[in-house]
Amino acid sequence: MLNLRTVKTVAIASALSLAAAAGALAFPDKPIDYIIPFGPGGESDISARFQQPFFKDKFDQDLVVSYKPGGGGAVGWAQLNSMATDGHTIMGINLPHIVIKPAQKDVGFTTGDINAFYMFHYTPDAVVVTADSPYQTLADLVEDAKANPASVTMSGSGKATANHLAQIRFDKMAGIQTTYVPFKGTGASTTANLGKQVKAQWGYTTVGAAQGDAVRLLAVAMEERHPLFPDVPTFKELGYDMVGGAYRGMAVPKDTPAETVKALSDAFGEINADEAFRKQMLDGGFALLDIDAAGMADFMKARSDEYLQAAKEAGLIE
Amino acid sequence: MDFSNLANALTFANLALALFGVIAGTVIGSIPGLSATMAVAVLVPITFAMAPASALIMLGAIYTGAIYGGAYSAILLNTPGTPSAIATTFDGYPMAKRGDGDLAVAIACYASVTGGMIGALALLLLAPPLSQVALAFGPVEYLWLSIFGLSLIASLSTGNVLKGLTGGALGLLLSCVGVAEISADIRLTFGSSTLIGGIEVVGALIGLYCIPVLIDLVATPERHLKVEEEVRAVRFREGARIAWGSRFNLIRSSVIGTVIGILPGAGGSVAGLVAYSEAKRTAKPGQKFGEGEPDGIMATESANNATVGGGFIPTLVLGIPGTPPDAVILGALLVQGVRTGPALFDGGGSIVYTFIFGLFIATILMLPTGLLIGRYAYKTIVTIPKTILVPAVGFMTIIGTFAIRNSISDVIIMITLGAIGWVLSRFGFAASPIVLGLILGPIAEQGFVQAWIIGEATGNLTGMFFGRPISLAIIAFTILSLLYPLVQSRRAKRLIKMQAGSND
Amino acid sequence: MTDAVPAKSRKDIGTLVIASLLVAIGLLTLYDTTGYSDSDSIVFPTFVAYALILGSLTVIIHCWLRPNPELGFGTGDWWRRLLLVASMIVACLVMPFSGFLPATAIAFAGSLVAARHEGWDVKSALVFALSGAVIMAGFYVLFRFALSVPLP
Repeated sequence: MLNLRTVKTVAIASALSLAAAAGALAFPDKPIDYIIPFGPGGESDISARFQQPFFKDKFDQDLVVSYKPGGGGAVGWAQLNSMATDGHTIMGINLPHIVIKPAQKDVGFTTGDINAFYMFHYTPDAVVVTADSPYQTLADLVEDAKANPASVTMSGSGKATANHLAQIRFDKMAGIQTTYVPFKGTGASTTANLGKQVKAQWGYTTVGAAQGDAVRLLAVAMEERHPLFPDVPTFKELGYDMVGGAYRGMAVPKDTPAETVKALSDAFGEINADEAFRKQMLDGGFALLDIDAAGMADFMKARSDEYLQAAKEAGLIE
Repeated sequence: MDFSNLANALTFANLALALFGVIAGTVIGSIPGLSATMAVAVLVPITFAMAPASALIMLGAIYTGAIYGGAYSAILLNTPGTPSAIATTFDGYPMAKRGDGDLAVAIACYASVTGGMIGALALLLLAPPLSQVALAFGPVEYLWLSIFGLSLIASLSTGNVLKGLTGGALGLLLSCVGVAEISADIRLTFGSSTLIGGIEVVGALIGLYCIPVLIDLVATPERHLKVEEEVRAVRFREGARIAWGSRFNLIRSSVIGTVIGILPGAGGSVAGLVAYSEAKRTAKPGQKFGEGEPDGIMATESANNATVGGGFIPTLVLGIPGTPPDAVILGALLVQGVRTGPALFDGGGSIVYTFIFGLFIATILMLPTGLLIGRYAYKTIVTIPKTILVPAVGFMTIIGTFAIRNSISDVIIMITLGAIGWVLSRFGFAASPIVLGLILGPIAEQGFVQAWIIGEATGNLTGMFFGRPISLAIIAFTILSLLYPLVQSRRAKRLIKMQAGSND
Repeated sequence: MTDAVPAKSRKDIGTLVIASLLVAIGLLTLYDTTGYSDSDSIVFPTFVAYALILGSLTVIIHCWLRPNPELGFGTGDWWRRLLLVASMIVACLVMPFSGFLPATAIAFAGSLVAARHEGWDVKSALVFALSGAVIMAGFYVLFRFALSVPLP
């Protein structure tokens, strides 16, 4: 049985490499399982759903999205390397999760275990308040936090996440002390903000896109302003050197042949290059990113160093 | 509102989609482990090629059908197919055991349709104002809501309250296993990678409720459910009469279900349990909840189907999904280019209204299809020989638990919990308190931690926990539900004494 | 096994054993919390562990004073119960190596034997094996292809 499967895998792999040599015409040759290691409704799910119709359109195969939630993604990532290596099983990945989680505790995988082949977008950090909040600008919030240390409560998704790191880093830069209240997912954190359980939220630009007039973004952590929010300043404009957020992409098991990885990377690169896809993502508040398999090592290295540094300073890891 | 939307919903294609959705949903929901979330998630890609309104109608119909389908396995196999149907087992399985399974399935159908209609009505008429309920519930309210839920243990444990409470504590502890939700620790795994993902609730439900039934089934040669010898008349009418007699219970439970469905942190399981406990609290003398009381099934089933409409309220108005299936549907909406928000319900919201009318149609279609499929399911389970029933159900528990998140660990945990649960139940520790603890644990923990952090930051911990009106109301309800059984039993004793006195 | 013990002389040992185990679980939890780094994740399990210990101790006292001799495993064949659970567990353990259907066939066969009280003959064995195969194949197709579950 085992032998047979190995033979089959090898056969497929060699067929694939042949196909890849011929210009990746035959890939994918069956539906691709796209596993999201979180529940539905989050940014990972929504952006995968955006990719789904484009994939079907371009490659005439289904991209089957399924969920494998648990342990803040750890359940999925810990099993990634035991899955099929024919390139027809891929899994969503999420920075800083895959860097910080294994650095904190043994969660069943290490950052090096994850064979990322494409990072396609990020959701820039943003400070979100309700439309009727007394904070008109970021300066208002900083002022209040200076006058009343620790009494400015800010909701966010989880701990040791992009939101949490952003809060710690910003507090440091602005010399203030705010109180971070962790919620389960961006949805719950947004609900708490809208319901005025907290004074502000560490969210993403996507929250601004989804909530429209109900909320106001005070600043976004991008190099340039987001096209959807031309009036919202970047942190840089306001004098804080903060650019970043949660980065998302896809990974395959470690033993996947290089040709297959390349073919997948090209396929998703093609989707990312589609104007209609780009527009849909931007309208949803996402910011696009084009890191393919070739550039992945450098990108991951730079990000890992940055996150580990920040997490160390924040006392999240030793 | 514009009734041309009703006409849009009534096209032949949409009707066919709604019918297909309801049937598929009912079948899927009846299989333990197959959830509405999964059914909807699998079908989302198909909807990309459809008109947005038709796509939504089909997804909504599947969702509605699946919530009802969960009642079958709850009634006939003592296994809640979805967490929403937990309280359905309390009275449904005893009814089935004494030979009234067909009646139970029929009244579950009437109750589900009623609940679905009331939930959809609330969505149609009151969505924007009702969505504010979701925002009024903060961490403290969720904490108290979960404690209210836990207080049900006292009234649910028919035998030994002490053992019930201890079982509840065990359930709360089990809910901590794995990577902590809102902090970054890994708890109670003792280094095992099997436990890192925690104990999956649906898997635990299947294990704790279904495996003990199987263990008991194989041990003795007796039949699974009691079968009446003579062929009985179809019991649809009898069921309808019972449902009509309990119309107040149905409406009250549906309203409870709608409101709790609006709360993104609660869900169908909590709605069913709260409605059940309210029905039990207001029981007429002579009603025996937990021993096959139709009102218990009706309360749960109407409440959990009402959460469908209720859950769509925050999803469509606030863009915050009320339940996991709502989250999948929200994703499908975004891909279709529909932006959620209060504006959906103003002038330009024809898509939303077509969808809501579609939900009504699906709910109405559930009546004939539900009764028919229910009757068929009942007949199959009753007539199938035990020799094949046990392995078939056992196989279903394995494949169903695996499918929840494609994990063999979950299946191993399911079987182990089931075996432990069987031993525990043999010594008076019932499964329900453990399950209650498992489900409510994360709600209670997150609510407590968040409330504590916020309370400390604002320097007013007491005010945070005891000073908010909704919290105080929930606390009052908790005390009421804890004390009511005592008052009731004292009154009953006095009544018996009086009767005894007058007989002399 | 316990069935052999006359009901009257039994002092509800089962409840005592279970409650003691629960106390042990509570203590184990308290020990486990000492390894957490975040105070937010310590509060709840600590509180619950104390509740569990307190509850179990009360159960022990109550059971000691007023034993309920009706509790117990009851009648029934132990080998059938054990065969059912064991075959299911074995199925899970071999699944990663053998694939889904061969593994669940073990569970199916095990529970089939466990559930059959009427005895076996060639005909019934064939009928049940066949209907079992049909049921398993049906569900496999439903899950694997209609619902796209990646079964091993």
